[in-house]
Amino acid sequence: MKEISLILNNEPRNVQVENNEILLDVLRNKLGIKSPKCGCERGDCGACTVLLDGKAVRSCLILAVEAENHNIITLEGISREKLSALQEAFIEFNSFQCGYCAPGIILAVTELLEKNPHPSLEEIKESIAGNLCRCTGYTPIFDAIMSLTGRGAK
Amino acid sequence: MKDYKYIGKDVTRIDALDKISGAATFVDDIDFGANLLYAELIESTKASALIKNIDVSEALKVKGVYKIFTGKDFHNRFGLYMKDRYVFAQERVRFVGEQIGAVVAFTPEAAKSAVSLVKVEYEPLPAVLNQMDALKSDAPLLHPEVENYPRVPWFYPKGGTNIAHWRKTRKGDLEKGFANADVILEETYSVPRYAHCALETHIAVAKFDHSGRLTVWSSSQSPHTQRNLFAEALGLSHKDVRVITPYVGGGFGGKAGVTMEIIPAVLATQLKGYAVKLRYTREQEFTNTYQRLGLIAKIKMGATKEGIITALEHQLYWDAGAYVEYGANVVNAVGLSASGPYRIDNVSIDSICVYTNLPPGGPYRGFGYSEMLFGLESHISRMAHQLNMDEVEFRRINAIKPGDKTAYGAKMNPSGLQECIDKAAKAIDWGKKPISEDPTKVIGQGFAIFWKAPAMPPNASSSAFLKFNEDATINLLISGMDIGQGYQTVMAQIAGEILSVPPAKIRVETPDTDRNPYEWQTVASHITWSCGNAVKNAALDAREQIFTLIHRVYHFPLDALYLEDEAVKCKTDPAFILPLKNFVVEGIMTEDGTFKGGPINGRGMFMPEFASTKDNPETSQGGHPNVHYTVGAAGLNLEIDQETGKMKVLKVALAIDAGKAINPDLVKGQIMGGLLQGLATVLYEDMRFNEKGKLLNPNLTDYKIPTAKDVPEEIIPIIVEVPQPDGPFGARGIGEHTMLPAAPMIANAIEDALGIRIKSLPITAEKVALTCLREKAKQ
Amino acid sequence: MSHYGLGTLKKEENMALAHTFDYQRPSTLIEALQLKAKYKDKAHFLAGGTDLIVNIREGMLKPDLLIDIKGISELLKLNWEKETLFIGSNVTFAQLIDNELVQKHFILLHDACKTIGSTGIRARATLTGNICSAVPSLDSAPALLCYEAKVHCASPESQREIPVTEWFLAPRKTALQEDEIVTGISLKRIPDSSGIYLKLGRYSGEDLAQAGWGILMTADKQYRLAHCALSPIPKRAYYIEDLLNNSNPLNADLIEKAIALIPSEINPITDIRATQEFRMYISGIMLKRGLTAIQERISGKYIEPRKLLGDV
Repeated sequence: MKEISLILNNEPRNVQVENNEILLDVLRNKLGIKSPKCGCERGDCGACTVLLDGKAVRSCLILAVEAENHNIITLEGISREKLSALQEAFIEFNSFQCGYCAPGIILAVTELLEKNPHPSLEEIKESIAGNLCRCTGYTPIFDAIMSLTGRGAK
Repeated sequence: MKDYKYIGKDVTRIDALDKISGAATFVDDIDFGANLLYAELIESTKASALIKNIDVSEALKVKGVYKIFTGKDFHNRFGLYMKDRYVFAQERVRFVGEQIGAVVAFTPEAAKSAVSLVKVEYEPLPAVLNQMDALKSDAPLLHPEVENYPRVPWFYPKGGTNIAHWRKTRKGDLEKGFANADVILEETYSVPRYAHCALETHIAVAKFDHSGRLTVWSSSQSPHTQRNLFAEALGLSHKDVRVITPYVGGGFGGKAGVTMEIIPAVLATQLKGYAVKLRYTREQEFTNTYQRLGLIAKIKMGATKEGIITALEHQLYWDAGAYVEYGANVVNAVGLSASGPYRIDNVSIDSICVYTNLPPGGPYRGFGYSEMLFGLESHISRMAHQLNMDEVEFRRINAIKPGDKTAYGAKMNPSGLQECIDKAAKAIDWGKKPISEDPTKVIGQGFAIFWKAPAMPPNASSSAFLKFNEDATINLLISGMDIGQGYQTVMAQIAGEILSVPPAKIRVETPDTDRNPYEWQTVASHITWSCGNAVKNAALDAREQIFTLIHRVYHFPLDALYLEDEAVKCKTDPAFILPLKNFVVEGIMTEDGTFKGGPINGRGMFMPEFASTKDNPETSQGGHPNVHYTVGAAGLNLEIDQETGKMKVLKVALAIDAGKAINPDLVKGQIMGGLLQGLATVLYEDMRFNEKGKLLNPNLTDYKIPTAKDVPEEIIPIIVEVPQPDGPFGARGIGEHTMLPAAPMIANAIEDALGIRIKSLPITAEKVALTCLREKAKQ
Repeated sequence: MSHYGLGTLKKEENMALAHTFDYQRPSTLIEALQLKAKYKDKAHFLAGGTDLIVNIREGMLKPDLLIDIKGISELLKLNWEKETLFIGSNVTFAQLIDNELVQKHFILLHDACKTIGSTGIRARATLTGNICSAVPSLDSAPALLCYEAKVHCASPESQREIPVTEWFLAPRKTALQEDEIVTGISLKRIPDSSGIYLKLGRYSGEDLAQAGWGILMTADKQYRLAHCALSPIPKRAYYIEDLLNNSNPLNADLIEKAIALIPSEINPITDIRATQEFRMYISGIMLKRGLTAIQERISGKYIEPRKLLGDV
């Protein structure tokens, strides 16, 4: 067991981990973070997505020890002060149903909009192509994002 | 048209904040503390075998292992409509992946390591891996005792065979019907199995505390049904079993009934004081939860040259898997409705539920109708071609109308099928298909109509408690599950409309069988209708209490009172405005200082009292098994790359008669989600079993469900509203139906574009490309 | 009667991979190589981990030590020198896609990078990790084969460069020695060249290749072709190259002749992703469309390879 430090949702945290522990599990079971979910354990579904140094990554494929001294943002960090414009848009456009994929998608799009505030529909699709949603059919998600980017929703 | 404040409006979902902020709690998010044990299953590697020995000696030595259980420890049998399943396999296994035991350990890794050290000795038995082999006279029998299994009275197994249930529907005179036909067409269609692929896998945590009380937290569509099955299987009193279901990450039918949840429930009784968690991996989600049944359908249809269908013979052979306690009802439901939404005077339907050595078939969005409609709607389009008639016109002529008799003799409910057909056809410009600018691509148009009724026992019921809080906000206690569809919001809209309380001030909690009253299950697209009625009745009950109290204290006539903006008002005294929050808990103080009234709590219940499964087993005539049908129609424009076979849906329109869309945006959400899921079953999802009954692609790498890049270019949702007379505000369910037309539409569009008829699913790009190639070679 | 285990009642911490291992994060190449020399084949290098973690979880790999190389700064090199692009082994696909030099000079590689996984995978997965996995369906392979890239390897004693054409030995087996690490991959620019990488997946979303074809055309209209997912290892298609490079002009007739050579170039199997029959047939279509598309790219037209096959 070793102790590692990292920045989690803008707060410094320390946690004891074994080498073979997965970042997703350590976040969920030791750091009180529940929004990233386990969906497939192979990186196929995107439900485990977190932002690592600002980039959307699959936390089910990262060892906790690899995250030492890095910066991790989860949905809890985005919702802390108040909802982001993206989150408000998701609520307005019903861009979710069961909610299981929502944290991953919101983080992936948060990264996209930071790099590219006016993405095309194709760029939006590419940014969330690795986040599976079985419920919505994706269109309401596109509509929410397009409403923010000045390109207008359908 | 009455103008409502909340009904028919796109009210913001009341679970939105939970889910978008990350606060929403699913079962795996709950922390159970230090006394949590982890269970891992020991699974069969054989499709059919006797279990000679299970050697756990090496497994027990793994550090962290607590106990190991097998079938010897639990002889409990369970099942929803028929008790043909065991918690753990007894002396034989019937499919690859079947649970034969469980390792319980202090860490999941210890449990996993231990499972890999368990040695099972099998004596293989012959297996049948498809329904036609299982029906042969020399086929090995999976359940020789099937006739002795406790079951609902409307299931008819055939002893000495692998037929677990045979639903026969006979109407009119089939021979005469064919004799009167000018065109007769016969064909066989086949549909393989499919997986639900909800993002959240199955999970349950069970705890048997020191008082002997069992609590189970599960991701489930059916908390009360689960409680019932656990209580029965374990011999416990219902009050001592508590099922708590938090948010569910997608169900699609796969989390209905009871499957893996019974394992921790039963294990817990041997692990007093501990909680034990079983969380399925994605692989187990594929191999050991319900799958959609496979179907081979033989259709023979006759019609006159004027286009009237005179006869339909529909034989459906279902690959239902090793245990059919739920799947047999899929077979039953379709056996009653395999005429499709058509008026046909002479019908013969045989819907046969066949045991096979594959995972259990069970409820999946559509409950057999997707599978049935693939063949039927393909066949209808072909009949139209044979008659030289427009496909949509042929459907219009034969579409069932309100009052017409169904195949089993009941009357069709009010429904706007013609309106759906007209609107869907118009939306895709039926008959005027665009031409692709790209010479390698061809565009075809496809059309299909659909219907489905909730498949439920005749006494499936809903109940609701409605409790006012001091500030006149409301807690609505119901046991339906929001599996994504937004049902909590719809219930809040119904209660809010009647009590003039905004839905945002109504809290609908996820169920806890201790607190929330009974709901049969969240399946069948029936809870908007059934639970909606219960909620409406609870709200009316509360309103009646309110008006009675006001009348008692202020002496206004009862029929002059009304609710508006969270206050009681009076038509005959406009100055009277009494805010609800002043009295709904505290009562009203009268002149002499005494209080009248007290907490207002409403109670409502709904159970259809007209449904009955008492029918003639040889003809299905005489019963009223289906409460009502929801109908719809859909069409699409499909662009096909002739060389690669890749297909792109350019435009798809789906019209559905919701009776009354209580929240139109949520109905549209079901249309978009359901269409994509339906298209995926045709175009991408492809379950492959090997010759030993093992699933070769139990993961999302090789079982492809749609991504954001696979969405049709344009989706046109159309809501039609012909009120359901006994629905809350006229509403009926639509959640499953939006998947139903996808497969036949694609097959019909391909025939339209390429002149090729594909009669089996899935229809992948590879299949289209190679079929085109072979057709070209023939010429 | 249930079976009681001998497990302790001590509550251990939660979810992890079932297999345990040591973990080191050296900051220099020498340290990494020394660790590898000590543990030999029981140590694996960890960069992106998108393949490695899955393999450990599913029991395919059971290392005693993981050597995390992400702390070794020299492996993050992505530089351009003497018309050669050097891609260090820590460089991710996301970085390659965003890199102007890759976009401008190595269009095949740019095409291929975009088809791998999804954004969340590409943010971590490295080109080096990709070629070290050496699976038959390796998307980056056709591009690297066409550009005749070199794989740079270092051992404690020496360094060498292995031409990528000699890198793939068998499925999941490369020419890398037990004591070596890949430090990067270099590609020399081919002036005024164009090309395309076509990947056939089962749908528009992320998929492993059912078939992959890379076609490079040099300034003097010489072709190099390579394929993946169609043979045990990714390979160049020398017979077809021979035909195309010794005939003129490139017309429909010549393309048909090239297609006829496909059975002598590839050795596809039937697996869960596609049948042998389909792979043979579709390769012809991909060849035809790829060769046509290159001419269009040269003339300045923007081509999106996925769209060529009917995807979005």
